[in-house]
Amino acid sequence: MIKKLVLLTFIGTFLCSCVVVKEYEKVTINDPDMALADKKCDKNVTTMHSYREAAAGANGGKTGGGCGCN
Amino acid sequence: MEVKLAEAAAVIKTYITLKKITLIIVIFAFAKAYSQQDSTLVYKKRVLETTEIDFLTSYYTQNGDNAAVSGGLGTEELTDITGTFIISIPLNDDDVLTINAGISAYTSASSSNVGAFDDGPADPFQASSGASSGDVWSSISGNYSHSSDDRNDIWSVNLSIANEYDYFSLGFGGSYTKLFNEKNTELSISANVFLDSWTAIYPTELRPFGNGGDGLNNSLFTQNTITGNSNYAPIFNEFTETGRNSYSVGLGFSQILTKNMQGSLSLDIIQQDGLLSTPFQRVYFVDVTDSFIDNFQLADAIEQLPDTRFKIAVGGRLNWYLNEKVTIRSFYRYYFDDWGITSHTASIEVPFKISNKFTIYPSYRFYNQTAADYFKPYQTALSTETFYTSDYDLSEYNANQFGIGVSYTDIFAKAHLWNYGLKSIDLRFFQYDRNTTFNSNIITVGIKFVHD
Repeated sequence: MIKKLVLLTFIGTFLCSCVVVKEYEKVTINDPDMALADKKCDKNVTTMHSYREAAAGANGGKTGGGCGCN
Repeated sequence: MEVKLAEAAAVIKTYITLKKITLIIVIFAFAKAYSQQDSTLVYKKRVLETTEIDFLTSYYTQNGDNAAVSGGLGTEELTDITGTFIISIPLNDDDVLTINAGISAYTSASSSNVGAFDDGPADPFQASSGASSGDVWSSISGNYSHSSDDRNDIWSVNLSIANEYDYFSLGFGGSYTKLFNEKNTELSISANVFLDSWTAIYPTELRPFGNGGDGLNNSLFTQNTITGNSNYAPIFNEFTETGRNSYSVGLGFSQILTKNMQGSLSLDIIQQDGLLSTPFQRVYFVDVTDSFIDNFQLADAIEQLPDTRFKIAVGGRLNWYLNEKVTIRSFYRYYFDDWGITSHTASIEVPFKISNKFTIYPSYRFYNQTAADYFKPYQTALSTETFYTSDYDLSEYNANQFGIGVSYTDIFAKAHLWNYGLKSIDLRFFQYDRNTTFNSNIITVGIKFVHD
């Protein structure tokens, strides 16, 4: 049930988006904290997760290889 | 006379009208010429204005009682220090070269017990000295990216090499990103290949049972007393395959939803083959009588895992610029693989700007996973099984991570080191706790410089 709700929320959010934000309106979107990726300084934290956890990928980090992990 | 006056007035009127038309035509012609001239002057902003250098360092510690090296029972104590330089160089208006060079040095009580009998009484909860007590991992990678003139198409290729004592990795890949809808929508596809190889290191007590070994006649057994089952006879064959290949394809979609909100969806499909077991991780069978030297239980076998693994990860991010002070960053990922593991990851970070230069970063991350089909807790595997591991990283568990960080940013980069201005400093701390005995801490520091 929770999975379905999360999925519906994501799909609904994306499909409802019909607004085109102009370049001059992207001041807040271009804020560094709005980046759709982990910050560079979190690189080693993501690496730690890939060593210690079975799951990897879909987060911009490594998906395997390059070390003895995963 | 009146007729002549009327004709003269008509001529003058016509003249004035023609003059107005001529003037309008001239104005339009100039306007058109100017606009044409202007349209040829397309302003192209550089993808990266100047060279940027990021220095990252971290200090990591962990502890727990379920070391995979000693079959799921023993200290997991480990400390690791890393240092990484990431240098981004604009080659021209469109192209950027990024070089990432890093080194990581660790000391580990857990891996020291690969050779548990190096000095003093052997014990899975005590560190041993010797070659396996530490290692240095070094890595260098390069990424070259090219953006089209309108910045709506981005191509990139990458190459990486990493090395540690018992592991070498060669990786390469590429990606293509397409922006459209006035750069509100972004689609990307990426592919990566890692061709890795092990230098297999086996637990000390198993080596005499490998190729050309002398079994129980080895000095390890003649100079130490085996207690428990003195007729020690492990199941052990050296791995013939020492390569590990990983292939991944990633798809990404991101969308600006409003002036203050954007999100992304991503999918990673990963196929691995080769030696996916870790050669020095012991397994103890429930149906084999135990053998010991000192307090250390001798391995019945090493972990055996399938030589293929197929993984899929689906993730989403949603970021919301709440106001000038607060931003909300969220992430969710669902993962599953054909080893029977499913996992959920959810995290939230709330950057809070306390001034123009300082931001604090509280965060929380939840993670859980089910156990791999082949996971057997300490001394529960059967010797008749084909696959088994007591690596608790493949067990069922939940983990909570709390983080706090502070960032200093100077957009004018006034402070200088030679020709480089200090752009930002990030300091982060994370506390990670599983609902098992495992916990860890990491402190990271990131410093960014930009060339004048």
